[in-house]
Amino acid sequence: MSDPTQSTSNVITTDIAVHNLSKTFGTRKALDGVSFEVPRGAFLSVFGPNGAGKTTLLRILATLSRPSRGTLTMLETDALQKPEDLRGSIGFISHQPLVYGDLSALENLVFYGRLYGADDVENKAKELLALVELDHRANDAARTFSRGMMQRLSLARALINDPQIILLDEPYSGLDPHATFVLDSLISRIREGKTFVMVSHDLERGHALCTHALLLDRGKVVAFDLAENIGIEDLRKAYDPAMLGGVLS
Amino acid sequence: MSNALEHSYNLAQTRQKWTTIAVIALILGLVLTTFDVIWAFFRAPIVASDVVIDPPAVLEGGTVITNQLLFSQKIFYFHVPVAIVSFVLIIAAAVYAVLHLMHHSAETDLRSKTCMEVGLVFIIGTMISGDLWTRHDWGVWWVWEPRLTTYFILTLLVIAYFVLRTAIDEPERKARFSAVFAIIAAIDAPISFGITRLIPSSIHPVLERGDSGMSPDMLIPFVCGIFGMLLVAFGIFRLRLLLQEQKLEVESLKARLEELDRQ
Amino acid sequence: MTAKAKAPGGWQQYCALLGKDIRMELRTREMLVSMGVYAILVLTIYGAALSQTASSFDILSVAAGLMWALILFTSLLGLNRSFSHETENSSLEGILLTPVSRPLVFAAKATSNLIFLLAVEVIAVPLFFIFFMGQAELGSTTPLMILPIILGSIGIAGIGTFLSTLTLNTRGRDVLLAILMVPVVFPLLYACVSATSVALLGIEGQIEIFWRSLLLAGGYDVIMLAASWGLYEFVLGS
Repeated sequence: MSDPTQSTSNVITTDIAVHNLSKTFGTRKALDGVSFEVPRGAFLSVFGPNGAGKTTLLRILATLSRPSRGTLTMLETDALQKPEDLRGSIGFISHQPLVYGDLSALENLVFYGRLYGADDVENKAKELLALVELDHRANDAARTFSRGMMQRLSLARALINDPQIILLDEPYSGLDPHATFVLDSLISRIREGKTFVMVSHDLERGHALCTHALLLDRGKVVAFDLAENIGIEDLRKAYDPAMLGGVLS
Repeated sequence: MSNALEHSYNLAQTRQKWTTIAVIALILGLVLTTFDVIWAFFRAPIVASDVVIDPPAVLEGGTVITNQLLFSQKIFYFHVPVAIVSFVLIIAAAVYAVLHLMHHSAETDLRSKTCMEVGLVFIIGTMISGDLWTRHDWGVWWVWEPRLTTYFILTLLVIAYFVLRTAIDEPERKARFSAVFAIIAAIDAPISFGITRLIPSSIHPVLERGDSGMSPDMLIPFVCGIFGMLLVAFGIFRLRLLLQEQKLEVESLKARLEELDRQ
Repeated sequence: MTAKAKAPGGWQQYCALLGKDIRMELRTREMLVSMGVYAILVLTIYGAALSQTASSFDILSVAAGLMWALILFTSLLGLNRSFSHETENSSLEGILLTPVSRPLVFAAKATSNLIFLLAVEVIAVPLFFIFFMGQAELGSTTPLMILPIILGSIGIAGIGTFLSTLTLNTRGRDVLLAILMVPVVFPLLYACVSATSVALLGIEGQIEIFWRSLLLAGGYDVIMLAASWGLYEFVLGS
């Protein structure tokens, strides 16, 4: 009988390892000495007030941006030396849908699929559209989509290369309850075995989904721990500037 | 804390050393240049211009001139060194730009930009002296001949460099894009010169200024002029760099104070 | 599991990017129409500019220059818009997220810009001839001018795409592109005007100049395209 507190495989791979990451824009330090590790299959929620550096961190993880200092290792590859090797394994959803308004949903996915070199792109695209419940709109121009549908299309785009690491930047912003529900169920459907990093201002949802939580303020790590060790109240207090620094042990 | 103090002290010492070197270079350079100019105007022989090459023996103004004793050619002793040095500065800016793209440091960006700044000064000097020469020789304010054209393009390139810098706010992008453009500019300038030289203009003659095969009497002031100008450029570069570095230091100190204030 | 070892084929990526640009342009016709209209407007201005010339005016001597000015102005307009689809929804980031090599993005974009420029030239150049060269005695070598047009367009599209990427998120973007591009493209322009002029005039014994100018234009293209290719990753990343 295996010990329920241990994962089924005895080897826990670290998918993301960040060490002493710093990013400076001119004189402003967006990130300052950020370090943490994310094991495979984890869901990391990143919290913090505006300007804390959350989006900057996510963009560095997506290899869209380079840090000024520090190391980043993802999937056992040095992300700073060989970002191009990693891009095929990362999916990124930002506030912007990153799709072409004048192409149809299907055309968008096929386009990105080809850039990723995915196999059998057309069928894969159709499958994904079915997964995100957009197959009835496959041939409509993306320009005609609502915000919720754009997000779903964006999710499909992020999944076209079957990524191991999925990064989400405030994916729930601007979504109505139904779209939120759809996104939720989609995430739980693809969750298995993949590693997630999500930035969200939705404290409840972010906390509920995550296995690990990271709290940033002004570029520094205030707290990083398993989800069960950081309560929602602690997070809420973190958004009150007067309370920061000393609330969380 | 004492480490930081020591570091500042060392920095100040290095700065002091460079300032002294720069000032010496500047003075020496000015001396050499003055020597060059005075010699040029009082001692160097007056030179005959080369035969007008293409189209043969036709000149603006209608008169056929094949050979002419040119007093105005003396500007050559000033103009060519300035031109050469301005070119050297653009190349230097491009070298720093390449270094910046390799190391992404603020220092290389600053040096690249300073080279461009000093280069701008020298290019304008080239343009003015070249224009005076043209005016004196041909009686017009402008001729689309290879050198003037190339230097005009070079002026535009350097101005474009600074316009680009102004258009970008974020320091990292500003530095990176400036470096890229500096490289493009440094590639474009010699191409410009080559093409305008190699393609004869059907209207404007290609004029050889006769700056090959100089007698020792001419060579000495000329070489002095080049070295003098290089030293002057170096001196100005160093002093300007010093000024910029100090300005940046003040800014970063202000930013640190602000941050401490907030905490 | 380490990062995927499979590298997607560069050619497939290039075709995907190029295909996307062409498909979008055929659907929206944004660039072609605006460039085409602009070319006609420039020709109209030429009409006013040349309206007072005497009938003995030798149009052939300025024809090459006027034509290339037309091409350059039109291309400036087009190049400004070359990334308009990408900036709309930040789709450029979407492309950067993929493993496609940055220079390949340049190659595809430059190719699509070249195609659009050539498409507009197919209309604008004959129009120029119709409007202004009706009475001119064209040299027998006139058809040769196709060569400098192609070489010049390649250079303009290449370095133009590169510089327009530089100006993407800057203030005063359109003007900045012109400020950067004109001095950089000057030598190419000079060579192309020379070659075109010789072709139009068809003077005996000058054909050597034509080939020399063409060679220089080609040399410019090779050097500038290589520089753009090599420097492109610095212009895209952040």
